[in-house]
Amino acid sequence: MTAPVIEAEGLAVGRAGAPVLAGVALAVSPGERIALVGANGSGKTTLLRALAGLDRPLAGAVRWAGQPLPHGALRVQAVGVLFQGEPASRFTVRELVTLGLGLDGPPSAAARGRVDDAIASAALAGLADRPCATLSGGEAQRALLARALVARPRAIALDEPTNHLDPAGRAMVHALLDRLRGAVAAVIATHDLELAAGCDRVALLHGGRITALGMPTDVLTPALLAAALGVQIRRLDDPSGGPPLFRMVATAAAATTAALDPREVAA
Amino acid sequence: MMSRRGTAGVARRHRVVLGFAIACAIVGVLAICAGSTGWRWPWAWNAMVGELRAPRVLLGGLVGAALAVAGVAMQAVLHNDLADPYVLGISGGASVSAVGSLALWPGVAPGPAAAVGAAGAAALVRGLARGPHDPTRLLLAGVAVGSMLASATGLILVLAPDSQLLRSSTSWLFGGLGTPRWSALIAPAVAVAGAVAWLERRAERIDRLALGADVAAALGVAVPALRRRVLVIAVVLTALSVAAAGLVGFVGLIAPHAARRIAGQPHRAVLPVAALAGALLVMAADALARTVFAPREVPVGLVTASIGGPFFLWQLHRGVQRVVQ
Repeated sequence: MTAPVIEAEGLAVGRAGAPVLAGVALAVSPGERIALVGANGSGKTTLLRALAGLDRPLAGAVRWAGQPLPHGALRVQAVGVLFQGEPASRFTVRELVTLGLGLDGPPSAAARGRVDDAIASAALAGLADRPCATLSGGEAQRALLARALVARPRAIALDEPTNHLDPAGRAMVHALLDRLRGAVAAVIATHDLELAAGCDRVALLHGGRITALGMPTDVLTPALLAAALGVQIRRLDDPSGGPPLFRMVATAAAATTAALDPREVAA
Repeated sequence: MMSRRGTAGVARRHRVVLGFAIACAIVGVLAICAGSTGWRWPWAWNAMVGELRAPRVLLGGLVGAALAVAGVAMQAVLHNDLADPYVLGISGGASVSAVGSLALWPGVAPGPAAAVGAAGAAALVRGLARGPHDPTRLLLAGVAVGSMLASATGLILVLAPDSQLLRSSTSWLFGGLGTPRWSALIAPAVAVAGAVAWLERRAERIDRLALGADVAAALGVAVPALRRRVLVIAVVLTALSVAAAGLVGFVGLIAPHAARRIAGQPHRAVLPVAALAGALLVMAADALARTVFAPREVPVGLVTASIGGPFFLWQLHRGVQRVVQ
């Protein structure tokens, strides 16, 4: 059996001493893609940050390939991160992606080649010398993805990678992620249920706990989604085998969500 | 192809640095030639040129370089394009401590006291602006602290006899390079050279820090340690500048912006270019201060403020301030 690239056990993470996330156990296998789905405040981003090594746990532990997260350039080879809503910088695309290598000094010829490859993979070769602040939302997001991937990490943590993108931008990000399938493990915090349906596993979060974890077909069901998201969602399967579509039809009954009381987390 | 691009970038950076160094040398020579007592050619080396103008011009260059590098460092650490030792009240902290030290212990060099005051002001502004990211709060805290400290400096200057303060009250409040000895150049020169060398070795880490603390951490930077060390360097450079020349405002704002506009964003290029741009700015401002109303002399800080104030408003108007955390 292959060792997980990221493994969390008994994880509790908090803000200002109060737990936001508790009792989380999750192992991400090499090349596996896991979606974290839940309502705002359910703990998706908190869990993602802990899995990316950005927040120290209150309890439990996270290991990366069985080890603590390394420092410096080795860290970016362990896990790349795409933040939600990172402002566009005035670095050029090439400069921004080069920073993803975590180098202390000018890049070597080989490193510059790797940067060019990452930029080309993100379909930004023609924009490599443009300041990121002048790019469209979709282009800027692809530049940030290229920065997260340039060091060829074993895993990437993506926070809402398709948020605020138009359909074309979402399609480009979906296509870029599809090209990575099997090569890089990915943990994706998302409200985009179509994106989640394309993952290998889905973790549903509610009140700071994982309430369901499994194959998308088993987890992205109307009943479980209603419990986790507080809305009634109809799932429309594609008879030709394509990804399913999800459509919100009504808010869920309060009784359903009451069964998952967030106060349990603090206990 | 890749190699050529990398080499071209390095060559361009070297050309920009060389261009600024040549411009600095030309402005420095012109500043030595010009003065309130008239034009003196530098080869007519005499007491006027060798003992009065040359050390003053060089000290102006060092003060400008120190303030510019402090500005670059603070803008990266605070993730705010409007961060500057003067605007954030750190120069004010250095000033009140230096003047207080001279008033109480006239025989003691004011540098260490200025460093303590600068650090105290930095901590106070940071403490007042703590909480959710808000550039306005940081700037308002800096302006408020700077104003209070300027008032305190003014009070000490009114109460203490001029004989104890090394130089006139106006030069502490509005900047003034005075008539320094050659030995007064040693500490700022060592500090500027050391700071630029230290920061250059960490230029790529500072690039990542400028993207925000979370991004920098994700990109392998030990954020708290780097931020602490860079801020200490900014505080020391500010303290030495204030101890040498009083309050010379806005250099840490204008020079880094000019450097970024010309040399691009990476700090490996921005740091030396900003240092040279700051040196050039203060040398030119001091030459104007000595000559425009000759034989009267205007405090150099008034000249830099008359450029920096409108520049600051222009930056505010463009809405370039940004704080991510």
